[in-house]
Amino acid sequence: MKRDTFTPNLAARNAKGARWRLAFLAATAFSVLFLASLIASIVNQSFGYVVMTAEVDPATLQNDGVPLEKQDEATLAGTIRGNVSRRLFVKLDAERSLASRSREELLEIIVAEIVQPTVRRTWTLAQSLFDADAIRGQVAEEYPDGNLSFRSWVNAGLFANPQSSVATAAGIRGAIIGSLATLLLTLLVAFPLGVGAAIYLQEYAKDNAINRIIETNIYNLAGVPSIIYGMLGLAIFVRALEPLTSGAIFRAAAAEGANGRTILSASLTLALLILPIVIINAQEALRAIPDSLRQSSLAVGATKWQTIRHHVLPAAADRILTGTVLAVSRALGETAPLVVVGASTFLTQDPAGPFSKFTTLPIQIYQWTARPQAEFRNLAAAAILVLLVLGLSLNAAAIIARNRFRREKRLGR
Amino acid sequence: MKKLLIASVICALAVSAGAQAKFAWIDPVSDDADKILPGVDPTKVTGTVVTAGSSTVFPLSEAIVERLVKEGFTGQITIDSIGSGAGFERFCVSGETDVSNASSKIKQTQIDAAAKLSPPRVPLEFRVGTDALAVVVSTKNKFITDATDKELALIFSTAAFWSDVRPTWPKKEIRRFSPGTDSGTFEYFVEHIFKKDKKPLLSAKNLQLSEDDNVLVRGIAGDENAIGYFGFAYYLENKGKLRAVNVNGVEPNQASVDANKYPLARPLFLYSDARIIAEKPQVAAYLTYYLTYVNEVIKKVGYFPAPADGMKKTKQLLADAMKGRF
Amino acid sequence: MKRRSFRSPISVESAGYHEERTGFITLARRARPGETLVEAFLLFCAAISIFTTLGIVATLGRESLSFFREVSFIEFFTGRVWQPAIGEFGILPLLTATLATSFYAMLVALPLGLVVAIYLSEYAPFGVREVLKPVLEVLAGVPTVVYGYFALTTVTPFLQGILGQDRVEVYNTLSAGLVMGILILPLVASMCEDALSAVPAALREGAYAMGATKLETSVKIVVPSAFSGLAAAFILALSRAVGETMIVALAAGAGPNLTLNPFRSAETMTGHIVRISGGDLSYDSIDYRSLFAIALLLFLVTLALNILSRKIIRRYREVYE
Repeated sequence: MKRDTFTPNLAARNAKGARWRLAFLAATAFSVLFLASLIASIVNQSFGYVVMTAEVDPATLQNDGVPLEKQDEATLAGTIRGNVSRRLFVKLDAERSLASRSREELLEIIVAEIVQPTVRRTWTLAQSLFDADAIRGQVAEEYPDGNLSFRSWVNAGLFANPQSSVATAAGIRGAIIGSLATLLLTLLVAFPLGVGAAIYLQEYAKDNAINRIIETNIYNLAGVPSIIYGMLGLAIFVRALEPLTSGAIFRAAAAEGANGRTILSASLTLALLILPIVIINAQEALRAIPDSLRQSSLAVGATKWQTIRHHVLPAAADRILTGTVLAVSRALGETAPLVVVGASTFLTQDPAGPFSKFTTLPIQIYQWTARPQAEFRNLAAAAILVLLVLGLSLNAAAIIARNRFRREKRLGR
Repeated sequence: MKKLLIASVICALAVSAGAQAKFAWIDPVSDDADKILPGVDPTKVTGTVVTAGSSTVFPLSEAIVERLVKEGFTGQITIDSIGSGAGFERFCVSGETDVSNASSKIKQTQIDAAAKLSPPRVPLEFRVGTDALAVVVSTKNKFITDATDKELALIFSTAAFWSDVRPTWPKKEIRRFSPGTDSGTFEYFVEHIFKKDKKPLLSAKNLQLSEDDNVLVRGIAGDENAIGYFGFAYYLENKGKLRAVNVNGVEPNQASVDANKYPLARPLFLYSDARIIAEKPQVAAYLTYYLTYVNEVIKKVGYFPAPADGMKKTKQLLADAMKGRF
Repeated sequence: MKRRSFRSPISVESAGYHEERTGFITLARRARPGETLVEAFLLFCAAISIFTTLGIVATLGRESLSFFREVSFIEFFTGRVWQPAIGEFGILPLLTATLATSFYAMLVALPLGLVVAIYLSEYAPFGVREVLKPVLEVLAGVPTVVYGYFALTTVTPFLQGILGQDRVEVYNTLSAGLVMGILILPLVASMCEDALSAVPAALREGAYAMGATKLETSVKIVVPSAFSGLAAAFILALSRAVGETMIVALAAGAGPNLTLNPFRSAETMTGHIVRISGGDLSYDSIDYRSLFAIALLLFLVTLALNILSRKIIRRYREVYE
């Protein structure tokens, strides 16, 4: 090409390239920005000022004319006795004799059970940081008896408390246990089945019609919406297999309230959901192992299973494990199928085993956003933070484990 | 003579074998002001109670169960908030639950279905409170403060614009929000405003249905041309964003509900079965506890107590179902 | 990639190995029941996927069959109102809402995803890539209920702020669609990036040798040659959008509504299923069976999209060497 034909539009082409490069960068930046704003909005809701007013004014809790601050232990115990229900008093005393409790503990009980501070209004982190004076003025006007304090909705109580209709006393204890138990069981079911299927498809299956159908089938199942798995789980695990999933056949006495809406049903449903993903991932991992490894093992007389068990699997283990953990972390965030299978709205006891009724963290979040009181939004935001951290840790653990396996592989251990 | 003696001995043995022991959870001191029901010691109640049903009754049941747990209950009570209709489904058709929460009366078809279960169930109705169904608009809505029930029928069916109902209202499209068809609230509204005909409401334009009252609250609060209805407790919680419309000139509050003046005051129910009460002591304990303390928690939840003589009859019904056990 | 059969390449019969043990290395194929057992178990594992599909088809099919005995196909596919309680079974409102939200999602995810993929594979320095890929994975890992919540509490007020509160309803399909697009973005970006990276360097180098700029190489050479992978990515993303549940359940609306206005509320097929089954499925009623009919339609649509995607990969895959 002649030079004078080539050079004139070179600058223009380069300029265009530079503009588009900027556009590409901007698009990428937008995605990152979106993630940042998503997390920012959640963090914004998880911390902030709250104003709380007391249900019962402490000033009215005088005992024989002695105001609350001046009462000694015995008088405090008497105040408690006079203001809570008889049975609650008996229970508190049975836990640890009130006479042996310190002054601080007795005051704590009085605040928790009698005074009962309730949240009246909440503000976001941004408002609390930038509008603090306006908030203070508003509180002075509308809630003169109110107590304004900065509250982190992510606190020890969030993890230790069970469900409650009072936002300040509610927590995700039951939901986390339910989530973790469900995930553990899902992993126990999906991992062997998934890896087994992948081994069969990659190592044993001949290239005939049936096996091709199985493979196509798995790819299609990976794309089926999760809610359909929920309906499948409802029809099969909750209804048809009810004696199994409710634990009735394992217990001599008829399990009371036995029905199939248990952790076992939920785990089996989720296992079916992530099974195609585990299989596809494991198959890719096995495919990446070079044949020379297999052939050298067979050359020294190992059987096929011995080859797989001692050479192929360990070599593919890192990728298989990572993929499985990523699939399980996807199951962590699943809400719709478990709503259909029947997670409970309210439970008094944390799940105790595979045959317990349950709720999970995403469902608890979903239900909290359905509560009328505004402070439950803040609680939901805090729970979302916990869920995100949980999911991220699972992903990080998978990646770290993979790197560790890789290092060992490279070092020839 | 000898035959008669043997027969009567056998009868007596049968009767004594059939007569069951007293409930283990009875507390010698009863808090029942009507002196009909026994006391319940929460620490002595064991086992599982499975309940499900109305989302309106849910906050009330939740408050009672929380109190029960606070006072020492260590068993498992589950409450599922799925709608009165779905609750009846689980109670009468699949037999999954022990107690059904409902904000509308049980239907004959459901009673018949319960009779077909094995073992059969005969639903017992326990009235636990009263709800004033609130018809609400956003606080941004400046034009509507009251409506007659005929106007409500128009608003929730064929009227396209507000001005179609009352000429003084603006010519803006009406956006409707309603609980879903599984909800007792829906059933009650249709029964009272549309004389049990669902069609006009469900054929209305711009209609959103949801069991999730918060979806309704958000939708109504955000739109000045929106109108909807749900249980009073949800209205109370959102008083800053919503305004209740006076129905037939009557404002929903304690006074009008007690005086029986508010037209949309509806009863809240629990349903159970005598056999379940007899065979599962924890269900008996739960119901006894509920009826004893419901009036102490109901105001805080946002509903209104059931009429006093109605409460007495309900407690007597439970006491009869537990006959001989306390 | 063709599957290989790993029969042992060595198969030597050796006579007389029973008598003497010394001196003979026996490579006889003696029966190993353990091997057969293992193979049988592995076959069972693989067959579970077939059982799953059969289960889905059986569950959805049986109820849908009895549904379609009462409601004609014509009414189902052309009816404009979906209200089972009064006997209206037209799927159009739900279907249009599903298509609308998926369309808005694709509007966001496809261009952005492709562009991010081009940036990551062609332009980004190694360090940026190592950081950005995990960030995208985090975006994909955020539970959908969080996205739905975000759509409701941030995106909708934002839209209302721009366009006015009387134009944009609290529940609308546009904000659900936009947020769904962001959810799918990492999927599209990662699959497109894999496809673009698989294009051999030789093609790029040839283009540079001809004097093309980086932009021209990427857009005119690399992207077209990765077309099959890109198309497959797009179709899979679409099928994901169609099947997404929680975002639309939270943000798009709770009442079936036949409308093309993105600022109005409308319920999608998946949102409807989860709303109704959050209650309970009463057996033997036409409402119950209608849910399965919707689910069957959903299943068939996503199945068709997936099969299409695989066909495209196979048919248009460029052989580079």
